[in-house]
Amino acid sequence: MSDKSAGNSSPKELLQGTLDLLILKTLALEPMHGWGVAQRIQQLSKDALQIGQGSLYPALHRLEYRGWIQSEWASSENNRRAKFYSLTAAGRKQLAEELAQWDRMAAAIGLVLGEAAS
Amino acid sequence: MSFHEFLSRTRFFFRRRPAGELGEELQFHVDREIEVNLAAGMTHREARRRALVEFGGVAQTHEDTYRQRPSWLLETLPQDARYAVRGFRRDPALAVTVIATLALGIGATTAVFSVSDRILFRALPYADADRLVSIGLVQSLEKQEFMVGGFYYEWHDNQKPFVAMAAQGTNPYACNLVESNPSQLNCVHFQAGFLPLLGIAPAFGRNFLPEEDRPGGPNVALISYGLWKSHFGLDRSILERQIDVDGTPARVIGVLPQGFELPTLQDADVFFPLALVPAAQQASKNNGIGQPMRTFARLRPGLSVTQATAQMEPLFRHTQETFIPAPIRKDFHLSIRSLRDRQTQDVQLAAWVLLGSGAALLLIACANVASLAMARGAARERELAVRSALGASRLRLMGQGLTESLLLSCTAAAAGLALAAGLLRIFVAMAPTGVPFLEKARIDLRIAGFTVVLALASGLAIGLIPAWQRPHSLAFAARGGARFAVGLFGKHGLRRLMVAGQLAISMILLSGAALLLRSFQNIEQQNLGLEPGGVLTVRMALPDFHDTPVVGMVSRNGPRHAEIYAQAEAAVRRLPGVRAVGWSESLPPGGGFQNARRFADFAVVGQPAPEQGSGGSVRFRSVTPDYFRALQIPIVLGQNFTEKERDSKQQFLILSRLAAERMIAGKNAAKDVIGRRISMGSDGTWATVVGVAENVRNGGLTDPDLPEVYWLRRNIPSDWGSPVPMMVISTELSTHSTAVWIRAQIAQIAPTVPVKIDTLAGQLSKLADRPRFETSLLGFFALTGLVMAVVGLYGLTAYLAVQRTQEIGIRMALGADRIDILRWIALEGLRLILLGGAVGLCAALALTHFLRSLLFSVGPRDPATFVGVGLLLMCVALLATLIPARTAMRVDPAVALRNE
Repeated sequence: MSDKSAGNSSPKELLQGTLDLLILKTLALEPMHGWGVAQRIQQLSKDALQIGQGSLYPALHRLEYRGWIQSEWASSENNRRAKFYSLTAAGRKQLAEELAQWDRMAAAIGLVLGEAAS
Repeated sequence: MSFHEFLSRTRFFFRRRPAGELGEELQFHVDREIEVNLAAGMTHREARRRALVEFGGVAQTHEDTYRQRPSWLLETLPQDARYAVRGFRRDPALAVTVIATLALGIGATTAVFSVSDRILFRALPYADADRLVSIGLVQSLEKQEFMVGGFYYEWHDNQKPFVAMAAQGTNPYACNLVESNPSQLNCVHFQAGFLPLLGIAPAFGRNFLPEEDRPGGPNVALISYGLWKSHFGLDRSILERQIDVDGTPARVIGVLPQGFELPTLQDADVFFPLALVPAAQQASKNNGIGQPMRTFARLRPGLSVTQATAQMEPLFRHTQETFIPAPIRKDFHLSIRSLRDRQTQDVQLAAWVLLGSGAALLLIACANVASLAMARGAARERELAVRSALGASRLRLMGQGLTESLLLSCTAAAAGLALAAGLLRIFVAMAPTGVPFLEKARIDLRIAGFTVVLALASGLAIGLIPAWQRPHSLAFAARGGARFAVGLFGKHGLRRLMVAGQLAISMILLSGAALLLRSFQNIEQQNLGLEPGGVLTVRMALPDFHDTPVVGMVSRNGPRHAEIYAQAEAAVRRLPGVRAVGWSESLPPGGGFQNARRFADFAVVGQPAPEQGSGGSVRFRSVTPDYFRALQIPIVLGQNFTEKERDSKQQFLILSRLAAERMIAGKNAAKDVIGRRISMGSDGTWATVVGVAENVRNGGLTDPDLPEVYWLRRNIPSDWGSPVPMMVISTELSTHSTAVWIRAQIAQIAPTVPVKIDTLAGQLSKLADRPRFETSLLGFFALTGLVMAVVGLYGLTAYLAVQRTQEIGIRMALGADRIDILRWIALEGLRLILLGGAVGLCAALALTHFLRSLLFSVGPRDPATFVGVGLLLMCVALLATLIPARTAMRVDPAVALRNE
């Protein structure tokens, strides 16, 4: 996946990559609609992360076009038609890769910060 | 991108989602927010408001999400295009103006590119042609590289910088194909290694074998594709057939590919092996110096021409010291040039100049169109602001503008291509003989591709420049503000700069064109020293004249030819209206290699011989007495040759005034000339000077005059050998009917001989063809550029004046009178004119010195020309500002104030 290696070069892209990771991780738990994704991230992060809708929907659609998630219309919790997103097999693989990369990155940053602190 | 991802993308590319789906998805999000807010106890109204605030711009998100679609660009493109076309329909005048302006720029550039492409850029039709060079000696009389057998083998066998080296005969020569349908062709010889060197294989058949490329080898020939087609009807049985060339049968062993051209660019139909004799026997050929030839070589990979020249230097030195006689040694130089330079060196500058002026014209056109687009953009500011408020991103608006300009520029390119094809026709009709490949210039795929690149580039330029200028605060624009905003150059700074730039480029173009025009006038009006009116030249192509294609050799058939020439002269003399019938082998102002001798070869008896290698060259013609009468060249001292002297055993000559001054030393030289004896060359023959003729132009139209020596052409066969004599006739009647009579007379004497009759005036005009071509082209570009620049200036001034109607009203209400308004508007124009003019003048002064070699008796910084051009530009440009300024001046203040 060509975007992956180039994806972490600048802070801005890192941020975008992070959003993708969060979305993938959230959807890995269960299929969900856009509003649900935003709510779940907000909940899980204890309100620390608020996903702007202006970036959420473009990201969802981008991931879908890449084939990492798929969507279908289904009845929502309040009995309305809503678009539910779920991970595809490629998405699972991608999530695993991004998680691994995130771990490496976090470890690396931790090392540097630890070094600087001591 | 993985395969899966690729599949996924393509899937979405083709599957269109119903547009409502996204809306529904976003709506669902908002509705859930509202529900949450309601659950938190808000009123319905408040819940909805908060939800929307929280969400941000719904339309914006909609647009952003939509843009993630892989097919987004493809979907918006037709939409933008439709929108653009609707815009053009609303304002067809603008669209037509833009397309016409761009088409002119693109068309002109394409046309000159198609002419210069082959001269400057296109690969030569040989394999890996960049590594091919022309190699040999050059000297003052022959500037194209040549070699002779006397040292060819030494160079060939000992050279290091080339992978291959091969030669062709010096020049193709006229030869006759004696078949059922006899015709005159051009024949040339080359070595067996010549075609492989060029990387050319025969279309079918085979190349010469080494054993055929030997003296006394079998008579074999290759023929050109053209000859195969015209004479043998593309019949494949031509192979192994015998054809009879100049009475010698030769077996055809192959046909060269279509479009094959000799590296010397000369026409040839039949090719024979060069059959060089071995090195040891070369001394017996061509007066001991060996067979003459043109040699080409292929550089080793990675080697430059300069490096190769350095490596060949020792071989050249050796040749210079052991082979070339000491007196003339210094006159010979080693020359190695790339094949492209060999073919087009003298027109490369002209090609660059024309290409540059085409590009300059295109630049002006683009600036003009960009300026128009900005004016239109300003008028559409509010529309854009509204679209922006409705969610169109800046990028999206830019894309829209780009679609518009690309649509325009591509339409213009199509029109431009048609224009280029038309222009090319005109170029070919003017076709100066000195510009190679001009007749072959075509609009082909490569040229069309160039046009598309031009269209895209100009489309980008005119689409992006206005976008760059667009106000950042669109909301401000939407309220109709930004009327009095000022910046570095005011609000329309970029447009002003562009107008000044256009004027500057026009100034450059005009200066170049004016210089060429002055130079051309000088060429046309110069005193040639002869009277071309009523003068005809007649060339008779007697068969097998070129028995030996070597300069200075006497034709084997000399006696028979001399007889035919004498009969023709007598017959033409009997025609009515004919004043004089003379002979020469060339006419001023032309002449070249064959009609030149070294000054140092002439020694005046009783005077020390001139130092060898000094004095340059002398024009040399072998003429009869009537030559001077026919061309009305006055004899200023002594007398003309007489008819009686033509039968004399002695030799006589007439010097030009310049030759007399240079050759005869001493105080009373002028009176002392007549009767002096001058020997030519080392064989000891001498001739008596009988007169001095006035100078005529004899170095071509533009080169300095050479001293000229006229040798009396006597009635003996050896005086009628090579080069081919030419009859010079002066008539009092119309040249046209005289030509018909001459043809009839010669047909009676030699019915089968082709006769070529030209007027001297026509030949002179042809000589001036190239400067005429360059001048008219540059002139056309300059005038078109000027018109565009002035229209641009006019447009800007008029636009600014209209924009400021309100300001004018206020100024008038505050007491400014009409003259003040006029001055105010005109001054602004004047500032641009002065800026553009000054920049253009400096640039022109810096650039025109490149034109130096194209100019004749006018300096590249000729003050009169520059003053004239400056004044012209100034006047026209001032007019272009005064007209709209005057209109502005007449505005009724009351109307102006209510204008908003």
